[in-house]
Amino acid sequence: MSLSSALETLANYRAHNTRASQDIVDKGKPLLNNAASKLGDDAWSFLEQLALAAIEIGDLDVADECLRQLGEKFPESPRVDILSGIRIEATERPEIALKFYDDLLEADSSNAAAYKRRISVLKRIGKIEQAVTELSEYLDTFYSDVEAWVELAELHSSCNQYTFALQALSHALLLAPQNPFYVLEFAETAYTANDIPLAIKMFMLAIDIADRHDSEESIPTGASVRAWYGVKLCCRSLSEKPSSPSASDTPFPKNLNLLDELATERVLTAYSAAGKEGAAGRELVLSWMGPSDRSGSRVHFVR
Amino acid sequence: MSSPAVSLYLDPQIRDWVLFPITLVMILVGILRHYVVLLLQSSPKKLPKAAIREQRALARSQILRATSANSSIPPTFYRSISIHLAAAFDAGTYLKDGPPKGDAPSTPPNPMSDPAAMDGMMAGMKTQMVMMVPQMVIMGWINFFFQGFVLIKLPFPLTLGFKSMLQRGIETPDMDVRWVSSLSWYFLNFFGLNGLYRLILGSDNSAADSSQTMMASPFAGAGGQPGQPQDYVKLFKAEKDNLAFAEGTYSWMGDDVETRLLRKYGKL
Repeated sequence: MSLSSALETLANYRAHNTRASQDIVDKGKPLLNNAASKLGDDAWSFLEQLALAAIEIGDLDVADECLRQLGEKFPESPRVDILSGIRIEATERPEIALKFYDDLLEADSSNAAAYKRRISVLKRIGKIEQAVTELSEYLDTFYSDVEAWVELAELHSSCNQYTFALQALSHALLLAPQNPFYVLEFAETAYTANDIPLAIKMFMLAIDIADRHDSEESIPTGASVRAWYGVKLCCRSLSEKPSSPSASDTPFPKNLNLLDELATERVLTAYSAAGKEGAAGRELVLSWMGPSDRSGSRVHFVR
Repeated sequence: MSSPAVSLYLDPQIRDWVLFPITLVMILVGILRHYVVLLLQSSPKKLPKAAIREQRALARSQILRATSANSSIPPTFYRSISIHLAAAFDAGTYLKDGPPKGDAPSTPPNPMSDPAAMDGMMAGMKTQMVMMVPQMVIMGWINFFFQGFVLIKLPFPLTLGFKSMLQRGIETPDMDVRWVSSLSWYFLNFFGLNGLYRLILGSDNSAADSSQTMMASPFAGAGGQPGQPQDYVKLFKAEKDNLAFAEGTYSWMGDDVETRLLRKYGKL
């Protein structure tokens, strides 16, 4: 592999935030000596990338060398500090890492990355409660961090606190209303929390966002397949228990039968179009969906 | 008026020893100024966490309000966020120094008493000084040595209106407007060299904007008024009303989503 193509791959990984640590270390190790003179301005982001990858696969000598070079170039950089913190996390006890981040925060209370590392350490050692408290505090200041909101929602969900999870997700929705995956997560959380009317609405919103540019004939893919499944599940659940409770007082969707029919149709479309490799799954889906009349009349369930 | 027959003869020595030196000195001073400003710039001061929180609190409600007419979140969640923010704004939870105590009259903070604000103002003043001082020195130099010099003749005719612009420092009513005096040449350079600086130093250099910042006073031009403190108490009160307005226009995207979907797929 030539130098230029290796560099190109590495730059590509950096740009897309790809997590291919082994490959990065394999390609990056030969470049490590005198990286600055070989790579110019790219060297520093390369060293950061290599250090993270090396820590992940446990090649700590490489990581230490990267840190040494970075530390020489940027003696007081908060970014290098965070990297050294991650290096500490790799070998030392969590308490020492926490202490390290505490010191960073004492020096500069607006160091967002240090907060996040601290929270991730807390999460790793199982102090979920403290992690949630600190994450809430972090978000109170750095409100616009969408991924932190999603993380908070996941932490709440892991403790079965679905209402709080939904609240955290609603902030994520406010900040990134164009992302169907957050809507989908909201819907699934609502479904888990047994708020079926809310869940079906959110599943439909997710479809609405994900399918915005698709026509009627196009095949549902990605997020929308999952969302159609969700609609189908909610329809089934609503028709079984027409008076299911809704913690959020969401009104029942109108035309439930039509929706059920449409969801069945869309899921089947997705599976029919998947070609030969999807055929095996299709039988299962068909039997789950029940003998549906594709021509457009009422769908009957087999229970 | 001036007749074309009356012509001046310009000594080539004037071109070599006055015209070129003035231009060269101005270019070099501009470049020098760029580097001096770079040296003087202090790194932006880090804000403590409480101050960031105060600054960004408004953004939270703005994000909520911006989409309220077509909101992506269900009514219960919208209302709970909205009520929470309104209560926090009312109580002053987000203020840097905590909620205000008692009924102390809220006076706008004095910029002179806040050291952080003073720092910002001093930085602006320093930059201004670097801009002004060399220009004054060059102008003095030209006035002292080359007062009343005629440097070049423009190759095109101009109306009398340009006389004050092109012949500053020469009080002769009858001279053709095409002759340019030394002081006017200085001003032409002063306003005209920006393009050249941009070529030499890149687009965001600090030499090029000299003519713009020169006009502004040192206090007003200090980089978007970093030192001007904002009265967050008032801003929060206003934002609370805005939130109430936004709640009136709230509607959820999910209200008729099933109809939209069914229509799209031809079921309705």
